Amino acid sequence: MAEIDSSGGGKKGGKKRSKKMSTKIDMTPMVDLGFLLITFFMLTTTLAKPVTMQLNMPDKTDTKETSPVKLSETLTVCPDANKVYYYQGIPTEAGTVMQVTNYSETGIRKVIADLKAKVGNNFTIVIKPTKGAKYRNMIDMLDECAITNNKRYALLEIDPDTEALIKRSGK
Amino acid sequence: MPKVKAKRHSVSLDMTAMCDVAFLLLTFFMLTAKFRPEEAVTITPPSSISEKPLNVKDGMLMVSVSPEGGVYLATDDQMAREFMLERMANRYGIAVTAEMKKNFMASEIVGYPLGAMRQVLNMKPSEAKALSKGIPLDSSNNELSYWVGYAKLSNPELKVAIKGDKESNYKVFADIIGTLQAQNINIFQLVTGPENKPK
Repeated sequence: MAEIDSSGGGKKGGKKRSKKMSTKIDMTPMVDLGFLLITFFMLTTTLAKPVTMQLNMPDKTDTKETSPVKLSETLTVCPDANKVYYYQGIPTEAGTVMQVTNYSETGIRKVIADLKAKVGNNFTIVIKPTKGAKYRNMIDMLDECAITNNKRYALLEIDPDTEALIKRSGK
Repeated sequence: MPKVKAKRHSVSLDMTAMCDVAFLLLTFFMLTAKFRPEEAVTITPPSSISEKPLNVKDGMLMVSVSPEGGVYLATDDQMAREFMLERMANRYGIAVTAEMKKNFMASEIVGYPLGAMRQVLNMKPSEAKALSKGIPLDSSNNELSYWVGYAKLSNPELKVAIKGDKESNYKVFADIIGTLQAQNINIFQLVTGPENKPK
């Protein structure tokens, strides 16, 4: 095993002499410990590497006129704990249909991608997390915007009209 | 002619070189390792596909949200921390002793209502954990607003990062955003874990 060998080959047999102390050191435990620590540090350094996503909110003091967004180019999504509500249009109007989907690849991502393909570059997503939503749901929703390559989105507080619409839809 | 002896091969292997490499690597990883900063509570952030690494080099003001909805504040800017303590204590008429200041500087995180500040700072940081239930931020008593305000006053370059637990309620996050927006802070870095990009 691991050792330093500095004795130049032992002489077998022969006359009795004063015993020569071996300079060999058993390095096995040291190597064991070394590799154990390496494994530990390698695993701990690569595990925790947080990333950030930047969220820009509009300046509330800024009264500058903003460009209006067409209703037909807007999708309102309401992330809830396990599902996502979405609708187009004004919540108080009778014709507005609240639909529901999930966070999967074929769920809200497909809805957004389909509508984006139909509407084009002006497509805007309005995110109104419900009262029951977790922080994770909001991050997931922002993430969906990033995945579908949508730069136009707004994060708003949920309003009573939208809540009523969710209740009315009964989903 | 001398006799030719069959050379006996030794079974012991020289591991010195391997040892050297192992310890070189060990030293490298030990020196580059960055331990997770002390946390009042364990926070597991949600994951996102974002690839921007969290830049902790320049000043950072970190607002953390625990799974129960407690709000904690931390900053790596020592000057700002000192300034915050001074102003907050002054505002609420708390006399700060050298001992209290030492304890404040020793723990990175602020997470208690000001009513408990005197009590917390007279304890060792390790003992004060039970009292660290979060900074109040309801509309009648928004202490977070003051803490952040003073931190920003001391160092306007501080970037605001929000690190929420994935199971924390969205409402707490909305309240934090509201509080910060009232002070005209509109850019937030949301700390998340990494996740693979879907095709």
